[in-house]
Amino acid sequence: MRLYRTTACCILLIFLSLSMLGCESRYENLGLDVYQYRDTKDLVKFVYDASLMIQRDGLQSVKHFKNSRQIHYSPDRYLYIYYINGANIYHAGMPHLEGKNLWDLKDKNGKKPIQMVIAALNDKNNPHAWIHYSWWEPGKFYPVPKSSCHFKVTMPNGQKVFVGGGLNYPHEEKEFIRIIVDNAAQLIQAKGYDAFAEIADPASSYNFRDVKVFAFTPEGKLLISPVMNDSIADFKLMDCVDEMGHKPFEKALHGLKNKESVWEVFLARNRYQRTLIKKSLYLRKTSIAGKEIYVGAITDLPQPPG
Amino acid sequence: MADDKKYEYTVNEVPPIGHLLLSAFQHVLIMVVAIGIPIIFAGQLNESAAFTASLVTFSMLASGIGSIIQALRLPYLGSGYLCPNLCGPSYLSLSLSAAWIGGLPLMRGITIVAGLIEMFLAPVIQKLKSIFPIYVVGLVVALVGISIIQISVTSFFGLTFQGDALRNMDLVVGAISLLIMVFCNIWGKGFVKIYCLIIGIFSGWILAMILIPEYWQNLLSVKNNPFFAMPHFQSLLNPVSFRFDLLIPLIVIAIGSTLKTFGNLLAAQKMSEPELDEINFIPIRNGIIADGLATTVSGLLGSMAVDTSSSNIGLAGATKVLSRWISVVAGVIFIGLAFFPMLTNALSQIPKPVLGASLIFSGCFMICAGLIQMLEEKWDQRKTFVVGIALFFGLSTAFLPSLYARAPKFIQTFFTDPLPTATILAVILNQIFNLDILFKNIFKRD
Repeated sequence: MRLYRTTACCILLIFLSLSMLGCESRYENLGLDVYQYRDTKDLVKFVYDASLMIQRDGLQSVKHFKNSRQIHYSPDRYLYIYYINGANIYHAGMPHLEGKNLWDLKDKNGKKPIQMVIAALNDKNNPHAWIHYSWWEPGKFYPVPKSSCHFKVTMPNGQKVFVGGGLNYPHEEKEFIRIIVDNAAQLIQAKGYDAFAEIADPASSYNFRDVKVFAFTPEGKLLISPVMNDSIADFKLMDCVDEMGHKPFEKALHGLKNKESVWEVFLARNRYQRTLIKKSLYLRKTSIAGKEIYVGAITDLPQPPG
Repeated sequence: MADDKKYEYTVNEVPPIGHLLLSAFQHVLIMVVAIGIPIIFAGQLNESAAFTASLVTFSMLASGIGSIIQALRLPYLGSGYLCPNLCGPSYLSLSLSAAWIGGLPLMRGITIVAGLIEMFLAPVIQKLKSIFPIYVVGLVVALVGISIIQISVTSFFGLTFQGDALRNMDLVVGAISLLIMVFCNIWGKGFVKIYCLIIGIFSGWILAMILIPEYWQNLLSVKNNPFFAMPHFQSLLNPVSFRFDLLIPLIVIAIGSTLKTFGNLLAAQKMSEPELDEINFIPIRNGIIADGLATTVSGLLGSMAVDTSSSNIGLAGATKVLSRWISVVAGVIFIGLAFFPMLTNALSQIPKPVLGASLIFSGCFMICAGLIQMLEEKWDQRKTFVVGIALFFGLSTAFLPSLYARAPKFIQTFFTDPLPTATILAVILNQIFNLDILFKNIFKRD
């Protein structure tokens, strides 16, 4: 009996010591805390690991990827590598694309994914160069919504490439709308009223799936509407309510008095099941012609399981 | 220890101090699961980390106070059984709705009123004992165990958000943890059998840290918390409000919570006092009053509503350690932990698959205790249809939530969860399908 107790105490001591020491992760500086879903974090780690391999081994690593396609292609994610000019070097799921230049390729909404990647790689607001578009799965005939992250890599021979990974049917992360809203706010500040056409364009990076960047004045006048492409219907944004009668815009603007940006949660109906789900509204202050306006977008909030 | 080999410690026995503390700690490990409820609540409202920490602290205080009150045997207060309290999911959706509509003052208000409703219902339940035959009681107890399936299985799979990726290693950790607990309980003797849950949890935790480095890294966050921190008691002075348009859904949820407590206390009584020929409703009534008081206290403290824990009762049944003083000590430990955020955070880092395994382990006893109680009765067609129809529609609320989202308002109000739906249906159908017997008895008397 004494032996059991002694053994149990030793195990507990070892456990406590190990737990206090902890250990460092190679992903610690990757900034994965901004993502909520494991799928998203796993994708970024997957692409980052590949980028390290390319940085170390250059084109030799591409041979390795080609010999191990089954590792780098799964129903959840897959890897691809392009030169900066849009020529594909490696595609885990679609080998027939290798060697082709996809610079001008458009998806079904008119978006040019490769050009969007290059812009995202140069965007300081977008550390993992996320883009959102439509693609297709090998062997399938219907479009698939995708989100992809990317890293720019300089190979040992000095050539620049980007490596990316795509997630089919991605989860909506709050970080995705944070990036596009912050970018839209900066664009408005830089270009003024000329920015609205670019932001409202369905083929731009400011609109994807059910997400749409909108803008309005403190008085509630819509500059870019969250519901229609043409603001013919005059509605009072501050009086708009969610499914529980809660006024998220009114509450969010109250929060913006002391902050540059704010998140507000509200209840809406699930598109498919009609049950209530939580959504998140992100608003940021910016200015146009010296006047303060607000830019925002709405996304789904992660739901508890079950 | 008791001479009677059926128990390790009987309900009124005070175990030796070492066993008392260790058994209480074993129960605390299950109570820690409930810390997730206020965290989910705060996350859904997009509240700050400081608010979340405060909500968790006060919820732990309320759970501890409720656990102590429940173990008492005062006149009209406390069942005197081992039946700790924790933040249950029963009130989560209504608390969220109230917080949406009227902020935290309204959430506090509805929690306080919910507790008062439950205290009001306690003597009513006692008077209604004629409409709760044994097999309906067994159905209620089984459904209480079934009500934790969702949280236990999703935790077992290591899932945090709906639709997220599963990890094979989480399944391995969960399965091994569960098997260790079960093997220790079946084949273990003495220390190993009594503390099967602690053994399983810590074995699973060590295994998880070896197989999945992320769990080890999560422990780093423990260092960022202060070791000791006083709760912000000034928040007790925050306003409280109430809206009468929430009264009907509140009554429905309070009835559901009362029925859940009723089922838990029945199971606790069955385990603690199996020699009883029929249900003793006095401790049940006193236990429901204590539960209602705990809920009211949680509202006054500004925490999430607390109620009795079916998982802990299941654990008591598994280990045959039934001393109510364990509930008192568990309550004291939980109150103490509220002042030590670093320790609380450390316990909250128990990997989800391990926690899920512990909930499945203890849930097995609740489900089977109810089924055994139900099927002990002489069976006939009336019982078949009462139980069958009640189960069909009760479980359908969990299998088909989208269907009920489109149902008429009346059905949406009362058909919310398997437990209240099946119980209300079983009670009504039991009366309807036995009308002929009722009339015969009336005529006989005449």
